[in-house]
Amino acid sequence: MIHAAVFSLCLAGFVALAFATRRQQREFLGGPLRSSVTYALRVIGTCALLAALGVLVTWQGWGLGLVMFSGHTTLTAGIVFCGLIVRSRKNVRAASR
Amino acid sequence: MSILVHRVRSAGPLISRIVAALFGGYAVAALSSVAVLALPMSKPQAVLTGMLASFIIYAGAVIWVFAVRSATKAWVGLMIVAVLLLPAAWSVS
Amino acid sequence: MKTDQNPKPAGRGIRQSMSSLHTWAGLLLGWVLYSMFLTGTVSYFKDELSQWARPELPHLVQVPDPAAVAQRIANEFSRMDGGTSQWSMRVPDARNNSVYAFWRTSARTPGQRGFAEAHFDPATGEKVASRETLGGEFFYRYHFQFHYMPVVWGRWLAGIAAMFMLVAIISGVITHKKIFVDFFTFRWRKGQRSWLDAHNALSVFGLPFHAMITYSGLVTLMALYMPWGERAAFKTPAERAQLTAELSAFVPPGKPSGQKAPLAPVEDMVRQAQERWGQNNIGRVNVVHAGDAAARVTVVRGEPGRVSMSPQYMMFEGTTGKLLNVSESVGPAAETRGVFYALHLGRFSDTVTRWLYFLVSAMGTAMVGTGLVMWTVKRREKLPDPQRPYFGFRLVERMNIASIAGLSVAMTSFLWANRLLPSSLAGRANWEINVFFIVWALMLLHALLRPAKAAWVEQLGMASALLFLLPVLNALTTQRPLWHSLATGDWVFAGIDIMCWVLAALHAVLALRAARQKTGSRSTRKTSRRAPIAVAAGGGAE
Repeated sequence: MIHAAVFSLCLAGFVALAFATRRQQREFLGGPLRSSVTYALRVIGTCALLAALGVLVTWQGWGLGLVMFSGHTTLTAGIVFCGLIVRSRKNVRAASR
Repeated sequence: MSILVHRVRSAGPLISRIVAALFGGYAVAALSSVAVLALPMSKPQAVLTGMLASFIIYAGAVIWVFAVRSATKAWVGLMIVAVLLLPAAWSVS
Repeated sequence: MKTDQNPKPAGRGIRQSMSSLHTWAGLLLGWVLYSMFLTGTVSYFKDELSQWARPELPHLVQVPDPAAVAQRIANEFSRMDGGTSQWSMRVPDARNNSVYAFWRTSARTPGQRGFAEAHFDPATGEKVASRETLGGEFFYRYHFQFHYMPVVWGRWLAGIAAMFMLVAIISGVITHKKIFVDFFTFRWRKGQRSWLDAHNALSVFGLPFHAMITYSGLVTLMALYMPWGERAAFKTPAERAQLTAELSAFVPPGKPSGQKAPLAPVEDMVRQAQERWGQNNIGRVNVVHAGDAAARVTVVRGEPGRVSMSPQYMMFEGTTGKLLNVSESVGPAAETRGVFYALHLGRFSDTVTRWLYFLVSAMGTAMVGTGLVMWTVKRREKLPDPQRPYFGFRLVERMNIASIAGLSVAMTSFLWANRLLPSSLAGRANWEINVFFIVWALMLLHALLRPAKAAWVEQLGMASALLFLLPVLNALTTQRPLWHSLATGDWVFAGIDIMCWVLAALHAVLALRAARQKTGSRSTRKTSRRAPIAVAAGGGAE
């Protein structure tokens, strides 16, 4: 259960961080967001990741917690990345029809 | 014939760097793993520290050899490090 | 050889030299590294694979009490013909349904190491009757010492490959300057660019893991690669024992007293350890000088929950069961080495963490694979005559096919051999391994004889078919088909059967993508495992 919660936090964190980059904003939201919104997304994303780390360290100590954190972040970053590609290709396909 | 000479000439520095990286790098890493024994810590810990650090030293030496401007500079750099480590390594072996 | 590398003109730049270094460091031993990565990835589940490879041994619904099991094994060894003075057993746990033990044998012929090994039933203490096989241990051992060569040579090759990997990682980071800005970038318009982006993504996302796994791999065998400090510091065996005590729970036995005395119940000693560390946190039980008055019993702590392999054990007087000492700490450098070792093996993991290790390690495998393929993709576009590429290109292209797609076929064939080779075959375990290498060699031959694209498609297709049919073969040749495993909650067997189908689907997708590539100057071969990014790239690259 804790693993599921941590996974979700990391996933949310990377989604927020992804949409705090101009490239993704242009791609999916039509144009760059206000800088205050971008900043807020960066803060939210970072906080989500730190919260995930906190949960893991509290649950399993620093050694295991850090290792698990590394695994969760690697995987969720990759999933967000793949998700962006899939969405992007869908948009391209839709646009070319 | 001159093409061959040209090829050998231009391959020379590259081969020199490769030798420096593969063997010179290992030698510097090995030397440092012995020199570390001169530090003030118990023998078993010093031996282990030397081993643990040796791989990043080796990798660092390889990067250095290919990053510097000339093969000569690469060798000189390795020699300098070796000369600095030699007294410590000699004193403990 | 790139002759334009030397002499370096001013302004050649560190990024270019690091880029060349990265390419060569990656390419020269890339095929070796790919096989190390793939066998290493699979080895995170080697205990489960070993269970699968011995279907005669029943699924353990509940982990048996380590103390009771230890006593049964101790009784078995005391009853053993000829007796034995020294033995070591690994306690069964949630991932191992048998006891693996080795012991000193009295027969010592030159060349023999004087040890025997076997698996024992935890319920009865007797040797198990199951087919002779290495199971998951084969992939694990291949990973760091390969095969058909002296163990030391294999380990040296693994170490050299690991150093090339370390240099490739460092040079890769230096050359990839926009590492954070490009974090979520992917371009699917250009074939070569897409492979690069896939390679970058796999490398960057897994960078902490790849760096850790490479360095920690070197650390596990550092005494072999860098023995000079040890040689300089320690002249006598006693001094050397100081070092060994920091690394291993095996305490060299002193001389036997010569007086016979029975071993006290091992069960009680293990119970004391359970009180200290936890009911199921026992790893090994080692006995020296069994049956002698100088007997010593060492109970070693288990691996879960502790990110370190530094020795923690309780030593008991064998004849009385009295606790002699508890060793639970080592010096800082030794503890650092213990942490590195633990990080590499990941034995402390719970199930989710083990799956994370597996998936990220698979990403690393795909990283190596995409790098190798990218080399041919990049150079294919520059070929003066695409129908007649130069020798180096042809070599890399064919080796890629055999070492990437061919390896999947070979590994699956090993599991097929496990199910098909007769139990009575002499040297059966070695024959399973021979099948692996024979199939791999045939894949190389196939890759040399067929056109490149056809070879990719056919080998990936073969892998997919073999993986898909493996659970069917399992159902036909054993009493443990998938429906039975699911019904009894045997997640080891069910998990492996299901993973076979997942991997079969993956290879099928890769084969289809490879088949759809148009041949010609823009053709790309789809090769990497676990790289759906590149799959997306391939589809959009036309």
